[in-house]
Amino acid sequence: MKKIKKQNVAGLLEKWQKEFTVFVPSKASGVLQMAAWDGENLSFLERNRNTAIPPKANFLPTMQKMFGFRKEEGGYVLEPTDEDPPKQLLFGIHPCDARAISIIDMVFKDAYEDKYYLSRRQNTVLVGMACTSPYDNCFCTSLGFGPADATDVDIMLTDIGDSFLLEQVTDKGKGVLAGAKDLVEATQADEKKAKEVKESAKAAVSTKIDTKEISKRLPLVFDDKKFWEEIAAKCVSCGICTFLCPTCYCFDISDEMLRDGSGGARYRNWDCCSFAVYTKMPAENPREEKWRRVRQKVYHKYAFYPELFGVIGCTGCGRCIRQCPVNWDITQTLNSLPEGTAAKAEEKQKTS
Amino acid sequence: MTISDISHRKRFLAQGNVYLPHIAVIEKIIDETPTVKTFHFNFKDEKLRKEFTFESGQFGEYSILGVGEATFCISSSPTRLDPLECAVARVGKVTNALHRLGVGAEIGFRGPFGNSFPLDYMEGKNLVFVAGGIGLAPLRSLIWNVLDNRAKYGNVDIVYGARTPRDLCFKYDLEAWEKDSSVNMTTTVDREVPDWTGNVGFVPAVTEKVAPSAKNAVAIVCGPPIMIRFTFPVLEKLGFTPPQMITTLEKRMKCGIGKCGRCNIGEIYVCRDGPVFSYEEIRNFSSDEV
Repeated sequence: MKKIKKQNVAGLLEKWQKEFTVFVPSKASGVLQMAAWDGENLSFLERNRNTAIPPKANFLPTMQKMFGFRKEEGGYVLEPTDEDPPKQLLFGIHPCDARAISIIDMVFKDAYEDKYYLSRRQNTVLVGMACTSPYDNCFCTSLGFGPADATDVDIMLTDIGDSFLLEQVTDKGKGVLAGAKDLVEATQADEKKAKEVKESAKAAVSTKIDTKEISKRLPLVFDDKKFWEEIAAKCVSCGICTFLCPTCYCFDISDEMLRDGSGGARYRNWDCCSFAVYTKMPAENPREEKWRRVRQKVYHKYAFYPELFGVIGCTGCGRCIRQCPVNWDITQTLNSLPEGTAAKAEEKQKTS
Repeated sequence: MTISDISHRKRFLAQGNVYLPHIAVIEKIIDETPTVKTFHFNFKDEKLRKEFTFESGQFGEYSILGVGEATFCISSSPTRLDPLECAVARVGKVTNALHRLGVGAEIGFRGPFGNSFPLDYMEGKNLVFVAGGIGLAPLRSLIWNVLDNRAKYGNVDIVYGARTPRDLCFKYDLEAWEKDSSVNMTTTVDREVPDWTGNVGFVPAVTEKVAPSAKNAVAIVCGPPIMIRFTFPVLEKLGFTPPQMITTLEKRMKCGIGKCGRCNIGEIYVCRDGPVFSYEEIRNFSSDEV
C-alpha cells in the first residue's frame, strides 16, 4: 500500500492534467459539483462532503448533442459528434457515486450499446475518496457496501491526517500512477489509521433500511393504491429526486432547428418519471396519476432494477431526501411497508 | 415451442450507433383516411436499401430532422421489402409535420427495433386476425407475410373494423383479401351509415358473431386499447386460451432500445421486450400499467 502527502496531491493532479481533464468537487458555480480543476484550489482535500449534483453528469450530460445536421441541395447531411470524447479523471468521487456509475453501466451496455455514454465511461479514470462525513440521511450501509468501499473506483484515497492512504484498485489506476513522484510506502500504522477512519465512517451512517427480500416484498403492496396515495400526497412532482439521483438515467430526445431552417441538431436531455408528460400518449397516459409516478420511482430502484440486473438501483446517497422540497424520505417509505409483507413474501416464495 | 418464448424473441438487427438515423426518401403517399396517411419510403443509401431486413411486428423511430422523432411500426411485409411502408395517424407535432411532407422529402429512420410476431409458433395453425382502426398497420405486415407463404398456415380469418367507412385503412388490401378465396374476410363499422352494406357493430361483437374456432388456432389482436380489452373476453368465450392470443402494446417511446425509461410496464420495457406479447404474458405482468 502507498500513501501521498496532502501537500503533494497538487503535483499529482498537475501530472494528470497533461493527459486528462481533471474534475474535482467544486463550488465555483454556486452548487457543489464535479468541475474542471482550476489548478489552484485544493479545498476539496479537506472539505470531504459529497457533491450536490452527482457525477453521472460527466457521463450523461444534462444536455448532450447527439448529432448535427445540415440541409444541402442533395438532401440532409448528418454530422456525427462525440465519437471519441476527451479523457477525464474524476478526483474525489465518493464510493456511493462510483457504485451508481457501475449500476447505470448495466443499462447502457444492455441490448444495444449506448456509444455516447460508454465512450465517456471508457475514457474516464475514477479516483475515489473514502467518505469520512456521511450526512444524517445517508444509508449506503443498508445496500451491501459502505462509505469507504473501493469496489467501483480505479484508485482509492483515505484521509489519514497529513496524508492519503492510496489503494491502486484496477490496472487502469496503476497505469495512471506510473512514474508518479511523491508516492511512498505506507507504514503499518498508516494502514491501521485508514482502517479506523473507514470503520468510524461506517459507524457514522445512522439511517438504515431493511433491504431483506425487498424486491419480493414490494410487489405485495404494488396494488395498494391507498398506501401510495398517502405517500404521494405531498409530492409536488418537481423531479429533483430524480435529477439529483446518481442512478437515475432516463432521458428525452429532442431536435433543435436553426431559425433559417438550414440545419440543426438532435439533443438528449435528462428526463424524469415524476412528470406526467413523460409517459403521455395521444389518447392515454399510464402514469397520469401522481401516486403511480411516485410508485414507479420507488419500484424502479427497489423492484424492477433487481429483477432486471440483480442489484438494487439505489446507493443510499441520500440526495433525494436532502433536496426534497416537501421532505419526502424514501427510507421512511421503505421502512413503512405494511406489516406482514415480509411474512407474506416468505410464504409466497415457499409456495412458488 | 411455448408461448413464453415469444417475448424472448429479441432481435437486435440494427448496428453501429443506433441513435444515428438513416436518411430515407418518401416515394409515395397514400391518403388512407382523413387523418391517416401511408408513406412508402426507402433508404438513400444503396447498400442499406439492399441489406435492410426486419420482421413483422418490429418498429422504427421515424424523424423529421429539426422537428423530432416518433414511433411507428413498419406496416409493410418483410416479404415485400421495397418500398418500406408506414401508416401514420395525425395526432401530434411530428405526425402533423410528417403529414405536411410530399413525395421526395427526406425522413430519418432508426431501427428495426423490438421483437416480432412468432411466425414459427403460428406455423401450421389456423390464424384469426382481429384489428381496429389504424391497429391494422402492424397486422397488415403479418397478414401479407402469411399470405405470401400461404401453404405454411391453416385457415385465415380477418375481422377488421373502424368507426365509419371513411376510417377504414388499407382499403386496397381489404379488397384484395375479400377476393382471396383462402381468406375469410369480415369488415365492419361501428354505426349504420348510408351506402354501407357491410357489417355494422363493434369489433368484439362482430368477432363473436363470426365465431372463429379456437381449435389449433392463434388469434392476433391489434387496435385501440379499449377494443383489445373487450376482444380478449370474447375470444376466451370462443375457447381461446391466453397463450393462443397475441397482441402488440403501445407506449410512449423515445430511444426505442430500452434506455430512455418511459415505456416500462413494471420491469418489462415495451420497446426492448415487446411490442408483441401473448395475453398469457400480459396477464402475468407485475404491473397494471398496460
